[in-house]
Amino acid sequence: MRISGWIFLVLSTGFVVGLTAWCYYKVLTLPEDGVVKPPDMLGG
Amino acid sequence: MAEDRQQPEQWGTRLGVILAVAGSAVGLGNFLRFPGQAAQNGGGAFMIPYFCALLLLGIPIGWAEWTMGRYGGRKGFHSGPAILGVFGGRSAGRYLGSISVLIPLAVSYYYIYVESWCLAYFWKYLTGGLGIDPTAPVAAQVATSTGFFREFVGASANGVLEAGHGTTIFFFALTVAVNLFLVYRGLNKGIEKFVTWAMPLMAACALVVLVRVLTLGTPDPANPGQNVLGGLGYMWNPDFAALGSFQTWLAAAGQIFFSLSVGFGVILNYASYMKKKDDVVLSGLTASATNEVFEVGFGGMITLTASFVFLGLSGTIAAVQTGSFGLGFNTLPVVFAQMGALGNFIGATWFLMLFLAAITSSLSMYQPTIAFLREALGVSRKMATTGMALLAVAGGWLVMYFSRELIFFDTLDFWVGTFLIFILAALQIVLFSWFFGAERALAEAHEGSHIRIPGPLRFVMKWVTPVYLIVVFVGFSVQNLRGSLAKAMANPEAQLALGWVLLNLLLLLVLVWRGERRWRAAGLDLDGRRPADD
Repeated sequence: MRISGWIFLVLSTGFVVGLTAWCYYKVLTLPEDGVVKPPDMLGG
Repeated sequence: MAEDRQQPEQWGTRLGVILAVAGSAVGLGNFLRFPGQAAQNGGGAFMIPYFCALLLLGIPIGWAEWTMGRYGGRKGFHSGPAILGVFGGRSAGRYLGSISVLIPLAVSYYYIYVESWCLAYFWKYLTGGLGIDPTAPVAAQVATSTGFFREFVGASANGVLEAGHGTTIFFFALTVAVNLFLVYRGLNKGIEKFVTWAMPLMAACALVVLVRVLTLGTPDPANPGQNVLGGLGYMWNPDFAALGSFQTWLAAAGQIFFSLSVGFGVILNYASYMKKKDDVVLSGLTASATNEVFEVGFGGMITLTASFVFLGLSGTIAAVQTGSFGLGFNTLPVVFAQMGALGNFIGATWFLMLFLAAITSSLSMYQPTIAFLREALGVSRKMATTGMALLAVAGGWLVMYFSRELIFFDTLDFWVGTFLIFILAALQIVLFSWFFGAERALAEAHEGSHIRIPGPLRFVMKWVTPVYLIVVFVGFSVQNLRGSLAKAMANPEAQLALGWVLLNLLLLLVLVWRGERRWRAAGLDLDGRRPADD
C-alpha cells in the first residue's frame, strides 16, 4: 500500500463517515414534530 | 369508498423513512460491484470521478425525487405515475411515469431470487459450509464453489430447478413469504419496523466481517506479499492515468447512479408518505450518506482485501473479472474456507449481511406497485397487496424456471434494472428543473427543510445534472446496447423476458388510463394546477 493509497483511503472513508455522522447528529437532535421548544427562562 | 381504501399511510418517525430509503439503496452492489469497479478503473483515483458523480448526479437527482414524492403526497397521490403527472408531466408524464412502477416491480422478480441465494448460503454456513476442501489447490476450490453455485441456481438448463432442487425452491418460497408478510403488515408496522432493526444489524455484521478481514495479517508465510496491506493497496493505490479514460468516468457515474437507487421509482413513493412539512433535504442527504458508508467504508475494504490475502493478485483479478456474482458466490466462499475455525461464522455473517441488504431493498420494490394499484383501482391495501403478490410470484417463478445461464435474469437486469432507470431519472430531473421550474422546485424542496441546498446546486440541477446524465446514458448505450440486442435476438429466454416486461408495461398503461379517469371523476388535482396546500 503506497502513501497515495492511504491518502485516498483515509480521505474517502473519512468524508463519507464524517458526512454520515453529521447528518445523523442533525436528524437525531431535531425537535420532534409538534414539540415547541420552551423559552429559556434563565438565559433569556 | 370504504374507510379502509381511504386510510392514509404515513411514516412513524423521520428516522424511519431515512432508514427505509437507505435500506432500499444499500444492496449487493455496495459490497460486490463497487470494489470491482474501483479496482478495474484506477483504484483510489476512481474516487475522484466517483465523488464528482455523487455530488453532481446522485444527490441532486435524489433531492429531486424526495421533493417530487412529498409534493405528490400533499396532493393525495403516492404512485409514481400520478406524482409525475402532478409535478408538471400531466398526462404524458403519467403514461411515461408507468415505468416508475414497472422498474421496481420487474426488478423485484429477479432480486428476490438473489436474495433467496443469500438466505440459503447463510443457512449453509450455519450448518457446516459448502464443503470446500481448504487443502486442495485454489483452482479446485474455486471449481467446487462455482459448481455448487451453478447447481444451486439451476444454470445448466431451464426447468431444472423443478426436478430435485427442493432447497432452492424452499428458500425462494421462504424469501417471498417473508417479504409478503412484511409488506402485508403495511408501511409503518411492516417496512419501517423491520428496517429500524435490520439496518443496524447489517452494519454490525459488516463491522464483524471488516474487523476479521483487517486482522488477517499474513496468513501464509510462504507468500509474504499476500497480506492485508497488499489487499488494501490493490483496491486503493491510485492509477492517475485512468482519469484520462472516458470509461473510468462512465463507470463511476454508473456506480453512483445504481447504488443510490435514484431513478428507481422507490424514493418517489416513499417520500410521498411524509408529512407536508417534513424535511426532505437533510433526509435525502442522510440516506445517501448512509449508502456511501456501506459502499466506500465496508465495500471498499472487505471484499477485495479478503480475496487478495488468500488468492493473491492473479486470483483477485480473475475474481473481479467474473463480476459481482462470481466474486460474491464463487470466490468469497473459497476465502471463507481458508479462514479456519472462524470461516463458517464469518461466511454466515457475510451472507446474513447480504440477505439484510437485499431484503431492505426488495421490500421497497413492492410498495410502489401496491400504491399504484390502490390509487388506480380504488381498492384496499390488502387487495392491492394481493394483486402485487400474484404478479411477484408469477414473475419470480418465471425467473427461477428459465434459469439457463441466468439469461432471463440478466435480460431483466439490463433492460429494466439498468436501461429504464436512465430514462426515469432523466424524466424526473427534466420535470423537476424545467417543467415545474428550478426556482419553484427548490422552494418546494426547502419547505420544512433543516438545511438548505447550496446556491450553486440550482445551476447544477438545471444544467449540469441533465447534461451529465445524457452523456453517461449515451456512453452506456454505445458500450452495451449492441451486445444486449444481439443477446436478445439469439436467446429465447431473453425474448421471453422482454415479452413479459412488455406485458407488464401494457397492464400498467391500462391502469394509468383507468386511474386518470378515476382521479378526474373524483375531482383530484391530477395535473397540479392548484396550489400545493389545497
